[in-house]
Amino acid sequence: MNCKKAEKLFLRAHDGLLSEEETKEFEHHMESCLLCQATKGEYRQIFEALQQTDFPEPNPYFWERLHPRLKKQKPFESWQLWKQWGMRAIPVSLLFVVFLASAILLLGPQPREELGQSGVLLFEDQSPLQDTETILDQEGVENKNMMLIFASLEEQPGLRRPLP
Amino acid sequence: MNEKELVQKSQKGDEDAYGVLVERYKRKVFNMAFSLTLNRDVADDLAQEVFIKAYYALPKFKHKAAFSTWLHQITVNHARDYLRRASRMKSVSFEETMRDVPTYANDVEIRERDEELAQRKKIVHEAMAILPEKYRIILSLRDIQGLQYDEISRVLGISPGTVDSRLHRARKMLKKKIKPFLTKEGEHQ
Repeated sequence: MNCKKAEKLFLRAHDGLLSEEETKEFEHHMESCLLCQATKGEYRQIFEALQQTDFPEPNPYFWERLHPRLKKQKPFESWQLWKQWGMRAIPVSLLFVVFLASAILLLGPQPREELGQSGVLLFEDQSPLQDTETILDQEGVENKNMMLIFASLEEQPGLRRPLP
Repeated sequence: MNEKELVQKSQKGDEDAYGVLVERYKRKVFNMAFSLTLNRDVADDLAQEVFIKAYYALPKFKHKAAFSTWLHQITVNHARDYLRRASRMKSVSFEETMRDVPTYANDVEIRERDEELAQRKKIVHEAMAILPEKYRIILSLRDIQGLQYDEISRVLGISPGTVDSRLHRARKMLKKKIKPFLTKEGEHQ
C-alpha cells in the first residue's frame, strides 16, 4: 500500500466506512510508515478543531422576532415564479429570434437573378444575335431601319399603336 | 407531540406548532449558517429567513425525507446564495469573521491548556473560510455538523460517491493550507 492510498483509507476510517480487511491493511501500513503517522496526526488536529467549533447562541428572542415576520411576509405564489423566470426568458427569446433570423438570411435559399432575353438564350446555348443578324443581312438601309423599329416595338407591347 | 404531527399542524397554518419546531431546530439551522459565515448577526438573520422560507414552503413538504434534512437543504441553499452575494460585494477579513467566536474559560490553567486548541481552531476556520464554497459546505455538513453521507447526499442532491470524493478533496485542501501551522503545533506537543 502506498501513502496516498493510506491517507484515503485513514479518512474513510475516520468516517467509519472501512471494511475489516481494509482496516488490517491500513493498520499494517501505519505501523511502519512514519510519514503516514505524521499525516494522521495532522488530520487529528484538524478534526479536533472542527468538531469543537464554539458556536455562539442565536440572538435572544428568536421566535418573538420571527413570529411577526411570518405574518408580514407574503406567501410565495406560483405567479411569482412565472414572473421571475419570464423576466429572464425575455432577453433569451429575443436573442434566439435574432439568431434564427440571421441564420435564415445567411443560410436560406438565395433568390435567382432574373435573366434577360439574351441571358436566357445564352443559358440555352443559343446565339442571342441570330435575329439581329437577319436584320443586318438586309441590303437596303431603309429596310434595316424599318425592321429594327418593328423589332423594338415587339419588345415593348405597350408602345405599339393599336390596330384599327 | 411528535415531529410529524407538528409538521402537519404547521402545514395547516398552526403557528404555535411551528413555534415548537423553530425552538427545536433553531440551533441546528443557526449553527449551520454560522459555520459557513462565521458571523453571529448574519447567521441569525439567515436562520430567521430560513424559517420564513420553510414556513411558506411547508405545504409542499411531502414527508419523503426527514424534516431536519429538508430544513438543512433550505439552510444550505440560502447560505449559498448569501455567500455568492457576499463574495461579489467584498472579501471578509479574518479578524472580522472571527469576532464572534467566543473566548474560552476564565480559569487561567484551563485557558493556558486550551490556548493551543483555540489558536488551532482559529487557523482551521480561517483556512476553511477561503476554500471554494462547495468544499466549505461539505466540510461544515460532515466535520462540523456531523451529518452522515446519505444525509449529505440528500441535502446537496449529489450521489454518495460524489460526497466521498468531494469530502476527501476538501479535507486534503484544508490540510494543505494549514500544514505549516500544524507542524508547529505538533512540535509543541
